[in-house]
Amino acid sequence: MSFARAFWLVVVFVLLVALHYTLRPVLAWRASIDFLVIALLLIAVRARPGAAALAGFVLGLMADSLTPEAFGAGALAMTAVGFGASWLKAAFFADNIALNGIFIFAGKWAFDVIFLLAEHRLQGTDLLVQVLLWSPLAAAATAIMGLIVLLTVRPVLGAPRS
Amino acid sequence: MLAAACAAIAFVLLILPMSTRSSVAATLRATIVLPLAAMQTKAELSRRAFLSHDAALRLIDSVTLRSQRLTGVEEENERLRKLLGLASAIRWGFIPAEALQGRGLGDDFTVTLSAGRSAGVEALSPVVTTEGLVGMVERADNSLSLAILWPHPDFRVSAMAADGSAFGIVTAHRGEGASRYFLEMHSVPLRSPLKAGTAIVSSGLGGVWPRGIPIGVVVSEIKTSEGFAKSYLMRPMVSLPDIASVFILTPERVRAGLENVWSTASSTDSARKALVAAGDSAKKPRDTTVTRAPTTTTTKRDSLARAPVKRDSARRVP
Repeated sequence: MSFARAFWLVVVFVLLVALHYTLRPVLAWRASIDFLVIALLLIAVRARPGAAALAGFVLGLMADSLTPEAFGAGALAMTAVGFGASWLKAAFFADNIALNGIFIFAGKWAFDVIFLLAEHRLQGTDLLVQVLLWSPLAAAATAIMGLIVLLTVRPVLGAPRS
Repeated sequence: MLAAACAAIAFVLLILPMSTRSSVAATLRATIVLPLAAMQTKAELSRRAFLSHDAALRLIDSVTLRSQRLTGVEEENERLRKLLGLASAIRWGFIPAEALQGRGLGDDFTVTLSAGRSAGVEALSPVVTTEGLVGMVERADNSLSLAILWPHPDFRVSAMAADGSAFGIVTAHRGEGASRYFLEMHSVPLRSPLKAGTAIVSSGLGGVWPRGIPIGVVVSEIKTSEGFAKSYLMRPMVSLPDIASVFILTPERVRAGLENVWSTASSTDSARKALVAAGDSAKKPRDTTVTRAPTTTTTKRDSLARAPVKRDSARRVP
């Protein structure tokens, strides 16, 4: 990866993290867009699995610090998603809009499922509703926003490594 | 290996005691997450401000409207308090009336009053207000009456300086533009010069106007060709646009005289203001008037001295 592309990758990453803490609270949707997952996937498809897992761990830890009750759950989920995305991208990631959308959707849904199971807060019907209704909706919103971001930054970031 | 280490640390964090997790989270919040938390706080505040914007606007509008109404109510209260003071001073022989607002064209010199013959109004009755002389009833119908105001060309009143040092006749000033709304006192003897600021009151000569009604204040001398008398420009005591509630004096009251009424009224008003300033604006003025009213030789006409109290909208303001 060239220096310029690395620079722009960092800029977009920081921008997405900033959006997570600015735009998301403003929108305050029940099925909210997860900009941190988009930022992680953007990094993961361009990094080795270990680095992607570390990035996910750091991002998750930062997010967890604002919700101490579930401290560690976000870090665990983000680590798993980052590692999985980086490991699976060679098999699934292609230069295809629909596949990219499914990839982000699956990443966000996987994050939610791991997070919800790890934090042990919701149980029974509430957990099912969250996993089968709100999480897919949030994943869909995240996937749409992720596609917009990918299409926007593709000219400066280029295609991910294979 | 790195991924496994991250996952292991995350798992350990999950099973740590709550106090430990809280302290780690607090450390993060105080360091690298601090700017992100600040951004989130501002974003949520912005959202709340955005959502409450319309409600805040509605609140501001209603408060503004209320304050505007309150200004009108305060002015009305002030006017009614003055009327109350004058009513207490006159005590009997007057008919309260409202000046009905005309269309603004062609009614500069006349005003329609809300009381007529049925209330005891007669032609040539003086019309006064808390500030002083307003005009004279020209025609009384059954329920309304028409009065000429002091700028009317037919308006005449025998007047004198408040200290009795000079006498003359007050008429409307025949000037142009704004000076049309001044008064003129002429036929003042040369030996009785008047200084600017001298208060002029009705003299009671002629029988139409009782003595002592404030008319105006001398502004300056008017140069005329008359060699035996002087003329003076006067600023009227009563501002016509401010006329709302007036008193029409009955012939009996005119004959009985009104001397010291306006000075009494002003002192009553001062006492009333003192009461208001003392924080008892709602009840004490009413009580004072109510106890005074029965002592007067009341008729159907002058019993309306209590009317302004009933109309005091200050009592309706929460």
